[in-house]
Amino acid sequence: MQISGFEFPDDLYYDRQHNWACVEGNTVVQGMTEFGQKLAREIVYVEIPPVGKAVTQGQTFMSMESGKWVGRIPALVSGKIVAVNEELEFEPTLVNQSPYDQGWLVKIEMSNPAELNNLLRADSPEFKAFVEEEAAKYKDVL
Amino acid sequence: MKLYRLETVSWSDSQLLYHALPRIGREGLNLLSPASPYVCIGYFQDVEQEVDLDYCRAHNIPVFRREVGGGAVYLDGEQLFYQLVIRKNHPLVPKEKGEFYWKFLQAPIAAYRALGIPAEYKPVNDIIASGRKISGNGVAEIGDYIVFVGNLIVDFDYETMVRVLRVPDEKFRDKVYKTLQDNLSTIRRELGSAPPRAQLWDLLAEKFMEILGPLEVETTVDAEWRAEADRLAARMMSDEWLFRRGRSQIGREVTIRAGVQVWQKAYKAPGGLIRAILEVREGVIADISLSGDFFFYPAERLVDLERALVGVRVEDVEQVIARFYADYGVESPGVTAADFARTIQVA
Repeated sequence: MQISGFEFPDDLYYDRQHNWACVEGNTVVQGMTEFGQKLAREIVYVEIPPVGKAVTQGQTFMSMESGKWVGRIPALVSGKIVAVNEELEFEPTLVNQSPYDQGWLVKIEMSNPAELNNLLRADSPEFKAFVEEEAAKYKDVL
Repeated sequence: MKLYRLETVSWSDSQLLYHALPRIGREGLNLLSPASPYVCIGYFQDVEQEVDLDYCRAHNIPVFRREVGGGAVYLDGEQLFYQLVIRKNHPLVPKEKGEFYWKFLQAPIAAYRALGIPAEYKPVNDIIASGRKISGNGVAEIGDYIVFVGNLIVDFDYETMVRVLRVPDEKFRDKVYKTLQDNLSTIRRELGSAPPRAQLWDLLAEKFMEILGPLEVETTVDAEWRAEADRLAARMMSDEWLFRRGRSQIGREVTIRAGVQVWQKAYKAPGGLIRAILEVREGVIADISLSGDFFFYPAERLVDLERALVGVRVEDVEQVIARFYADYGVESPGVTAADFARTIQVA
């Protein structure tokens, strides 16, 4: 669905840091939302974490650079990284160009699927209100 | 939050102290300058590609990898550093990076203006005066803190800056030198002289306090902070940290079947990023596509170069490319035959 002019696919889960999670069985694919990449500006480097690394929901586990700013990305669920998007080593701007598809970041095998309840859905009034508030706050940048 | 007016510190402390502060859960504004010169590379950079390490070793210029973004810089005592460590959820911190830079760059901008230098903000993270950059700035997120670092540039050693960079040849170095001269200014260049150092520290402190509010001033590093900086030194001053794999030499190889592979390679030459996708059969290039953001004149010859490489053994590509350059008068500033060869051959 569209919120404030940005796409938020209905089947994904979201956090309040502009990241999305797509559930595939016991695995979650994580990426940055269209809104998030716009706010981040052009991504020039992505640090690909090693496969097998343990991650914790809400804790940062990888870095990205844009505008000389090295930012940290939190994991949307706890578990173990089972795949990483190696293309981002060569084409970090895929995060900008294709945030919901080719710009995915990592796949995490969930250790506690109940944590998905801590995330938001696109059609929830809470999420809509959050995005609208963010869009209003950053209207000059977006 | 306290203002740590440390003024002159060792070169290593000029980096370690701001990396240590968030790790002991403390906000602060450091004002300091390194006692001796060094080279500092960005978090994601490949030190061997960016820095002439032989030159640095021969001239006792240390090299350090920071956690902040951006590129390789030559730093010395003619630059006054401000290093703000502030909690992400501090009420003064805007969430958006452009707004963050704009807000906190007002302090050095106001300091420059107080000196009579017409400094202004240039999105997203620069300060310019008369069209030239006059301050370098970057950010790292460390734990729950934002670490914002930058400098007032009193004077700049353009010659050493271009000397410490790894460049393919003197022509390229000369080009970098001229470009730096044209695009980077200093207090001394703008004013014709440098004001007393104490005046500059006072100005920075005053202008940051106009944004942050009054700050208690400390002039020393306490034991807890010292211990964390020393602990960090063991990691951040190790070869393992400095020579951490840079992204620009990373390649991928996919085996299609025994003896047949598809390689995707990328290599950051001084003149730009080179990308190659090639099919290799029994060590011989069967197909190759070259791209990137480097300049290549005449551009249409790039396709001819790709054709010339088909049928060539991987270990022989450099000679073939060098011959191609000579035969066709190709020019590619900052990208040599050896760089193409390295793109293809790097593991």
